[in-house]
Amino acid sequence: MNVTKFAICAVITVGLIVFLNNGWNIKGTPIPPLGKFLDPYHGFWQNIEKTDYKPGKQINFEGLQEPVTIVFDTLMIPHIFAKNDADLYKAQGYVTAMHRLWQMELQTHAAAGRLTEIMGNEVILNIDRANRRLGMGYGAKHVLDYMQENDTVRTMIESYTNGINAYINSLNYEHLPFEYKLLDYQPEQWTPLKCAQLLMNMAKTLNIFDKDIEMTNALRMFGKANVDLLYPDDEKVGDPIVDNTGKWNFPPLQPDTIPLAVPEELISMNRLTERDPTVGSNNWAVSGTKTATGSPILCNDPHLGLSLPSLWYVVQLNAPGVNAMGASLPGAPGIIIGYNDSIAWGMTNAQRDLVDWFKITYKDTLRNEYKFGDGWAKTEKVVEEFKMKGGSTFYDTVIYTRWGPVTYDDRFHAENNHRDYAFRWIAHDKSEEIMTFYKLNRAKNHAGYMKALNHFSSPAQNFVFASVSGDIAIRIQGKFPLRRPNEGRFVLDGSNPHHGWRTFIPAYQNASQKNPERGFVSSANQYPTDNTYPYYITATSFEAYRNRRINEILTKKNGVTVDDMMTLQSDNYNLKAAESVPVFLSYLDSTRFTPDERIAFDKLRKWDFFNDKDSEAASYYEAWWDALVPMIWDEMESETVTLDIPTAYTTIKLIREQPDLVFFDRVKTESKETAREVVQQSFSNGVANIKQWMENTEARQREEGLYGGPATGPAWGRFKGSYIGHLIPTLRPLSIPVNTGGNHDIVNAHSRTKGPSWRMIVSLEKSGVKGFGTYPGGQSGNPGSPHYSKLLDRWVEGKTFPLTFMKEPGEPGTYSTTTLNPE
Amino acid sequence: MRFIIQVLVITILASIMELFLPWWSIALAAAVGGYLFSTGANFLAGFLSIVILWVITSITIDLTAGAALTEKVAAIFSTTKPVLFVITALIGGLVGGFAAMAGGALRKDRRRMKYY
Repeated sequence: MNVTKFAICAVITVGLIVFLNNGWNIKGTPIPPLGKFLDPYHGFWQNIEKTDYKPGKQINFEGLQEPVTIVFDTLMIPHIFAKNDADLYKAQGYVTAMHRLWQMELQTHAAAGRLTEIMGNEVILNIDRANRRLGMGYGAKHVLDYMQENDTVRTMIESYTNGINAYINSLNYEHLPFEYKLLDYQPEQWTPLKCAQLLMNMAKTLNIFDKDIEMTNALRMFGKANVDLLYPDDEKVGDPIVDNTGKWNFPPLQPDTIPLAVPEELISMNRLTERDPTVGSNNWAVSGTKTATGSPILCNDPHLGLSLPSLWYVVQLNAPGVNAMGASLPGAPGIIIGYNDSIAWGMTNAQRDLVDWFKITYKDTLRNEYKFGDGWAKTEKVVEEFKMKGGSTFYDTVIYTRWGPVTYDDRFHAENNHRDYAFRWIAHDKSEEIMTFYKLNRAKNHAGYMKALNHFSSPAQNFVFASVSGDIAIRIQGKFPLRRPNEGRFVLDGSNPHHGWRTFIPAYQNASQKNPERGFVSSANQYPTDNTYPYYITATSFEAYRNRRINEILTKKNGVTVDDMMTLQSDNYNLKAAESVPVFLSYLDSTRFTPDERIAFDKLRKWDFFNDKDSEAASYYEAWWDALVPMIWDEMESETVTLDIPTAYTTIKLIREQPDLVFFDRVKTESKETAREVVQQSFSNGVANIKQWMENTEARQREEGLYGGPATGPAWGRFKGSYIGHLIPTLRPLSIPVNTGGNHDIVNAHSRTKGPSWRMIVSLEKSGVKGFGTYPGGQSGNPGSPHYSKLLDRWVEGKTFPLTFMKEPGEPGTYSTTTLNPE
Repeated sequence: MRFIIQVLVITILASIMELFLPWWSIALAAAVGGYLFSTGANFLAGFLSIVILWVITSITIDLTAGAALTEKVAAIFSTTKPVLFVITALIGGLVGGFAAMAGGALRKDRRRMKYY
C-alpha cells in the first residue's frame, strides 16, 4: 500500500468534496455549492420537468381525516375535492407549496424583515430594517391574534400550515425548489404567523402610501392656494365609483373641529414608501339587461408589479358547503378573487389615506418618554435582531409610541432631518380579512357578500359583485378613520392627544350600490363617491382616465359578450393622450422642426390614440410625456426638501388652462418659460431620446434577440421594453421579455414592469357559472417546468383561457389525478 | 480490457449509489473501483467514468426537458449551455479521478489482482 500516495489523493478528494459541497462568496458574488448543484442526480438538473410531467398519483399525508382528490387540468390548475374544511385547507396548503414554496417563504421573509438570512448584504439589511421599522411584524402579530381567537379561521390557518409543512417535510435536496439550490439555503417550517406576514405584505403593496410629508412641505413653500391648485383632493373628473347623490340615508358621525398644527420645519427624506401612480386595477360587473345571455358578467384585473413566480395561484376548492374557484395568494388559505356556483367577486384598491405621521418630542436623549398632552408618555423599545447570512448578527432598537413605531431616527436614515416621526398605519391594527374570504367563498347571494365584507378592514378595496340570481353590486370596504377636513393630508403633532384616529366610519355607512339604473357598476381607483357623501376623503391620488374609458364603453354597449369584455380588458385607448396631444401640438412651433421632429409631429397628428404594440406615435407621445413631467415640476426636484409632483390630469389641465403659471418656468434657466416653451423643449428631448434608443446598437441587439428581427422604427411594444421579472431581480435570465401595448393610465395598464396581474371574466349563467382567466406566468413556480410561463402567451395576446370548473373529480379537462391518503 | 471494465464498474456503481446517497457518493464508487481494479490509470478511469455518467444523465434530462432551464442556468453563470455541460462533467470527473486514485493506492501489490 502506498500510504503517501493514498493520503495525498484522499486529502485532495475530501478537500474537493468539501469545497464543492459548500457555497462560497467570491468578492460579493455568491457561488452555489457546485458539486451539489451540478450533480445530474440531485442538483438543478432534477428541477427540469419533462414535457409530460405529472404530479405523483398517491401521497400519504399524516393528519388527514379522509382521502382528498386533487385533479390537475391541462393548465396545471388543481381542483381539490375534500370531505371537510380542515382537509380542504390542508390540501390547498400542500398543493400550493408543491408549486410555490420558495416564493411563499421569500415573501414572508421579506415582510418579516429577514431577507438578510438569505442574502446578507448592506442593501438587503436596509430593506429589512425598513420593513421592521414600518411595523410589519407589529401588524402581523395583531393579525395573528385574530387568527387564533376565531375557531373557523384558526382551523383554516392551522390546516393550511399543516399542509405546507407536510410538503416541506417530504423534501430532500433532490426535490428542493430550484432557488433554494441556487441560493444555497433550506426552507424552514411554515407557521400561522407567516400567513399573517403574507397579508401584511399585500397591505404594504396596496395602502402604505401617503404624501403627508410632501404636502406639509408644499404648504410651507407654495402656500394654501397653490396646494389646492396643484394637489386637489378631488379632481372632479369622471363618475365616482358610487354615485348616490342626495340619497345617503344614515346619520353621519360628526368629527370635532380642532385647528391642525403644521410643523414649522421643511422636511427632507428618502421615502421608503414612495407612492406609485402606475399601480391600479379595474373591475366592473354588467347587469343581465345589458348582456347577450341575459346573465350578469363580472370582470376584474388587479394591476400590480408583475413577477415570476406569479403573485397569483389559481385553484378550485370543493368540500361540503363550498365550491369556489379563482385566484389565491400563495401563503393564504381560500380564494381571494373568484367565483362559486352562485356569485362572483373581484377587487380594486380603494384609494384612501390610511397612514399618518406624528412628530414626536422626546423628554431627553434617553428617549424613554415623549411629550403627550400636559405630561409625558412612556416609549417602548424593541430590539430587532437581524441574522446575516454568513453568521454575524445586527441589532437595531426601534422605539414605539402610542401612535406606532418611530420609523426614522438618528439610527436609520439619519442623513435627513425628518427624525422622530411616528408611523401610524391602518394595517397595524387587528383585522379579520381571512374571514371575509372564508365567507365570500361560500356566499350564496348579495346578503352573503355584504356579511362577508363586514369583516374586511385593510387594505381597503372596492369589492365588485355579481350573482346568478341577477344582482350586481359594488362596495368600498375598509376600516376608514373618521377624519376632520384636511386631516391626514399633512403631518400631525404627536404631543396632541386630540390628533390621531378617534373613531371609524361604521361599516354599513361605507359607500355601496346595488343594481344601479345604468346597468353596470365599475371601479378603477377613481374618487369613490359623489360630493354629497358626508365624510371627508383624501388619498395620495385618484385615477382619472381608465375609469372614464371603461364607463364610456360600458354605457354605450348592449348585448355584451365575454369576448367584448376580453377586448375591453386589453383596450389600449390612451385617453390621456387624446386629451393632451391636441393641446401639446398646438403649442409647437413647426417652423423650427428638425427632420426627425417633423416625422414625429406627422405621426402624432395622424395618431388614433391607441397605444398598440406596433404604434410608433405612441412611443413619441410617451417619450414626450416622460421628458415633459420632470421639466414642468423641476420645482419639486429639490435635494433638501421632499415634494410630490401633481397628477397627470392636473398637469394637463394646467398646461391647457394656465400656460403662464409660474411653475412652468424652469428653475435652472435664466429665461422665463411658459407651458409653450416647456412643451416645445420636451418634444425635442423626447424625439432625441427615441433617436438615441434607435441608434443604441447594444440595446437594439439585445432587444432584437428578444423580439425577433430588427426594429425599423420605435414600435411602442419594443420601446416600452416590458418584461416579467423573476422575484430576485438579479436573476435576469429567469425573466421573460414581452411585447405588448398599453401603459399606465390605459385600461390595459401594462407599463414596463407593472400591469394586469390576473385577468378574470365570469359569466353568471343559470345553466352554470363560466369563468375565464389568465395571468402573466404559470401555475408552477419552478423555472424548470413547462408550467412556469404557460399562461403568459394568451395574456400577451389579450385573451383568456376558459377555466374548468368541476362539479366532481374526473370531469373533462382532467390531466392527472393525485390522491392524498390519511396515514 | 481491465481499464474498460474498471470504467464500466465505476460508472454503474456510481449510478446506483447516487440513487440513495448524495452527490459525493461518486467518490465512494470511484474509490471502490480504483481499489478493486487498480490499473495504471486509476485517475483516468475515475475521471472518465463520472464524466460519462454525468454527461449522459444531464444530456438525457436536457433532451426531454419541458422548459429551457439549462440555458437559463448557463446564462446565470454568464456562460453557454455547452460550457455548462463541460463544467458539470469536469467537476464530477475531478472528484471521481482523485477518489479512484486514492482507492488504487490502498492496494498493496497490483499483481495480486491477476486472479480477477
